[in-house]
Amino acid sequence: MHSQAQNTLPNTSKKVNNEAGLAIINSKAPYSSHYGKDALDVALIFGSYEQKVSLFFQGDGVHQLIAKQDTSLLSIKDYLKTFAAFEFYDIEHVYACQQSLLTRKLEPSFHITDVQVLSTTEFSAALNHINMYCGFKT
Amino acid sequence: MNTLAVVITTPPYSPLTATAVNYVETALEAGIKLVGVFFYQDGAMHANEHISIATDEYQAIFHWQRLQQKYSVPLHVCATAAEKRGVILGELTDEVVNKSFTVSGLGELVELTSKASRLVQF
Repeated sequence: MHSQAQNTLPNTSKKVNNEAGLAIINSKAPYSSHYGKDALDVALIFGSYEQKVSLFFQGDGVHQLIAKQDTSLLSIKDYLKTFAAFEFYDIEHVYACQQSLLTRKLEPSFHITDVQVLSTTEFSAALNHINMYCGFKT
Repeated sequence: MNTLAVVITTPPYSPLTATAVNYVETALEAGIKLVGVFFYQDGAMHANEHISIATDEYQAIFHWQRLQQKYSVPLHVCATAAEKRGVILGELTDEVVNKSFTVSGLGELVELTSKASRLVQF
């Protein structure tokens, strides 16, 4: 699933040879499954190890960014609140697919700042720039 | 030298398991250095010794064990994901987690990706 192998470093090296870090792709709505929460845990651990991580939200995944969601009726802890800690973890690259928002008639009013809404072309270009990714989708 | 890390997020009864094992084995035979396999989400179920899959279906744990013995492949299962699925059971953990697997934190995934030139997910 992943792109170019361009490595000549010895395997004992702890040096990060993937400068663009890890891309995490979120394609699932927030509360009907654990995908979003599991993706968040990966993002935060990479952040806490000072590894670069970028988050990509596409398809139903864009719902994870939408403000004013209420989980009190669902008996689910609202993990989306933790997105506010991204800055603390130096997670600076959060991308939303514009087409996915439009298809779902969602306004780009997000519960965190600094979400970049990208066209399909820009979105795939941003993703293409990254060597490693991990998908949280079916 | 090409280095590979593998993430398994699908359960042992997923048809992707056979693909994952074949991929890993082919990579090893080709001389690619596999830094490790990380089992996350439903993938944590692979480590459960007691999962019993019908004999005419793909025997996931048998093949992981085989690869581990033949190539010393590090097989890391995420502790949180495993706990959530009953694979870690306090004092009984040793009876549940297959001996080929190591219980690790998510930090291990960071380690593996930092050592690998390629990450493949099944």
